[in-house]
Amino acid sequence: MRQDLGYLSGLALHVHRGMGERPGDRRFPGRPQSAGIELEAHSPYAPGDDLRHLDWNAVGRLDALLVRRFTAEREVVVHILVDLSASMTVPARDDKLGAAKELALALAYVALSANDAVRLALLAGPAPRISPVLRQRESVARVRQMLADAGARGLLALGETLESYARRHPTPGLAIVVSDLMMDPAEVERGLHALRMRRYQVLLLHVVGPGELEPGREFSRGLLEDVESGATRPVVLTPAVLARYRETLDQHLGALEALADRSETVYARLVSDASVAEFVTVELPRLGVIRRR
Amino acid sequence: MSFGVLNPAGALAFTALAVLIALYLRGRRRRVVPVATLFLWQRVPAQALDPERFRPDLLFLAQLALLLALIGGYLRPYLEDVMPAGEGVRLLIVLDASASMQAREDVGTRFDVARGRARALVAQLLTGDEVMLVAAADRTHVVLRWTADHARALDRLEALEPLDTPTDLAPALELALGEVRARPATRVVVLTDLPREASGVGLERLGAVDYVQIGRTDDNVAIAGLELDEPPFHPASDATVTVVVRSYGRAARRVVLEATVGGAPWTRRDVVLAPRGTEQVLLTHPPGAGELTVALVADDALPVDDRAVGWLADREPLDVLVVTGSPAVAASFGALGMTIGGSRVRTVEPAVWDAGREADARVVVLDGVAPSAPLPVPALYVAPPAGNDTCPTERIAEGAAVIDWEADHPALRGLGALEALTLTGTAELGTPAWGTAIVLAATERGAFPFLVAGERDGHRIACLGAAPLASADDLPLLLLTLGTLAWLEERPGDAPLPVQTGVAVPFAGDPPVLVAERIGIQRVGGRIVLANLFDDRESDIGRSGGGEWPARARPPAITTVPGGRREIGWWLYVAAAGLLVVEWGVWARRARGPA
Repeated sequence: MRQDLGYLSGLALHVHRGMGERPGDRRFPGRPQSAGIELEAHSPYAPGDDLRHLDWNAVGRLDALLVRRFTAEREVVVHILVDLSASMTVPARDDKLGAAKELALALAYVALSANDAVRLALLAGPAPRISPVLRQRESVARVRQMLADAGARGLLALGETLESYARRHPTPGLAIVVSDLMMDPAEVERGLHALRMRRYQVLLLHVVGPGELEPGREFSRGLLEDVESGATRPVVLTPAVLARYRETLDQHLGALEALADRSETVYARLVSDASVAEFVTVELPRLGVIRRR
Repeated sequence: MSFGVLNPAGALAFTALAVLIALYLRGRRRRVVPVATLFLWQRVPAQALDPERFRPDLLFLAQLALLLALIGGYLRPYLEDVMPAGEGVRLLIVLDASASMQAREDVGTRFDVARGRARALVAQLLTGDEVMLVAAADRTHVVLRWTADHARALDRLEALEPLDTPTDLAPALELALGEVRARPATRVVVLTDLPREASGVGLERLGAVDYVQIGRTDDNVAIAGLELDEPPFHPASDATVTVVVRSYGRAARRVVLEATVGGAPWTRRDVVLAPRGTEQVLLTHPPGAGELTVALVADDALPVDDRAVGWLADREPLDVLVVTGSPAVAASFGALGMTIGGSRVRTVEPAVWDAGREADARVVVLDGVAPSAPLPVPALYVAPPAGNDTCPTERIAEGAAVIDWEADHPALRGLGALEALTLTGTAELGTPAWGTAIVLAATERGAFPFLVAGERDGHRIACLGAAPLASADDLPLLLLTLGTLAWLEERPGDAPLPVQTGVAVPFAGDPPVLVAERIGIQRVGGRIVLANLFDDRESDIGRSGGGEWPARARPPAITTVPGGRREIGWWLYVAAAGLLVVEWGVWARRARGPA
């Protein structure tokens, strides 16, 4: 995992949905509130409004009691949900898990550097390990330690896990899901839907291994074993089989992109042997996920 | 056009093919491949895995071809333009393998030098050329008949070693010249240390061969002779040994002579030799009986003649039963017994002697008596009567004289005065089937056997034409009788057989001839054989420095194609480089998968 994260200074996550409850640096136009800095609108006075917010100039001019409304400034909690199921460990030489951890750390750094709060959820098995909300840049060390201590194991039902997570953390925020997404797209959509229903802004980051894109690098024939379920299937990688696999893979990736479109989710794919730094600084800004502060 | 390889040992590299196949099969074994999910793979057709079936794919074939090309290059294959059959070179090498070829020169032994020359000649031959190897020592030995297998010829050359025998080069040269006559294209090369003049073949005829003479040094001191004087019926300690030591060098030499008997040291003498001088060293009072070894500490060029062997035997005193009716003969044998301490000589009248009884003596002397049945002990028939079957006689000769004898026969060893022996009256013996005449006498009418010796029914028998008193000078006849008695007492086949290497001697065995090729004490068919070189011609190793006399008439020149042998290994390496590119392409295509 890359230690030097200084190259991420000056970057911030672009969040336009998922307003939190605590006051913060993020402004959410369209949801005026009674207190704030930036005047956004006026509203007719209603009993109980703070008289200090009456716009006396408007009263003088219009002879109507109007109260000033300000742009909401709230904290955003960035939920980084990392898939730590056993599938992240294969193909072994692709090190998808390492890439996912490095990506999660980089995004946590970007969020904490921009005064956003971060909650790290390590999704493995029925009981995910979830950190408290972390604030301030110094918390990066804690995130790093959690990621370093985490190992991939077991089976993960992503849809159900995300549903459970959304129920447990109903306050919306930015949910960044880092997974190899080697599952039925319907399962992924189920989870995304649960998050979206809680008004989360969702970023779906797909970590894929080169050996999954080009299985000929891994084997030419063998008994394939699902590391999570233990199911097996004998496969001889003939050109015809390889072509069929490529076709199926393309369909799978296309389905993931399509469901991301449907659920207004940003989808991005990282090949595990590619540079995480380049992905964060080039690919994600291109998709509008990250911007300069 | 023929094909061959220069590095046949490189064929071991073919084991790499087995490694490749093993790796390929290992890759094809039933292997469990963990994957993140079978979700995608369930949509591709499954296929049963068959680990046993060997189905080489394109990558395997490319790797196999690459490996074969590399191994092929390593073998250093070549193509050679071969001349039509019948036009190839025929090389006959005559290699002197006699004892003198063991002489050490500055660059090794003469034989090593000759073998090196022969090896070089064989190496120059092209495929299809024939070679024949002949070794010449005391006999001619065809080591290898005509063959085009040059590697085999080289192997035979390496296995050849010079013998301890004299040289008889002439038969080998005659054989070679016969080959030249049969096939004029045959080239004969003679490698020897003999001068051409000593080859046994006329110089004119030697013009048909390439004659290579090797050798220069004359630094040799040899034991040229070993004479054992063992008095009959005396113990070994009474024996004397005369060693003839000869220097063949042009410089004075000082050597040490050491003698052992039965492995025990006997004596050690310093011997000073003048240039090409000879010294006789007399050794007396040997410490016992047994194997006698005399050796020179000389550090000369030819060690093989620095050692000689003999045998000193303990002999029993005379034990003889004399059957005679003559008091004079009885007295004569009695006097003979008196001269030898411990002897037992008994006399019995023919009338009272019972031939059927076993004799109480080791030898029986029958004077004028001849029993009809053979005796169970060795017997000397003196003046045998006419008409007997054992020692046939023809008549009585008066005034006969000994004219000839077999000096090498053990019964006559050491007797030198027989020529003067005149006989007043002797029976003219015939030659029976069981024996040979070893002493001949003659009168005016002609020669006849005087002493016949041989074996019959496992015992030695001798027939002597006259009694010891029948000579004007009775001492030689007495010594002859004594020597015969000593020979009779020996059991047949017991006495060690002294031979000279390379000299055929009769031998009771199959084949009935023995030729020793190595000096020393050997046991052949249960009998001890004492083999010595004792050959002045071999020991006199000094040469003029050698020389080469090419054949005057060369075989027809052989037309060879320039650069007849062309290695093609580098082409295989180039092909291997190309195959490497192909193999990489196939591998890359597989790694990428189908487009």
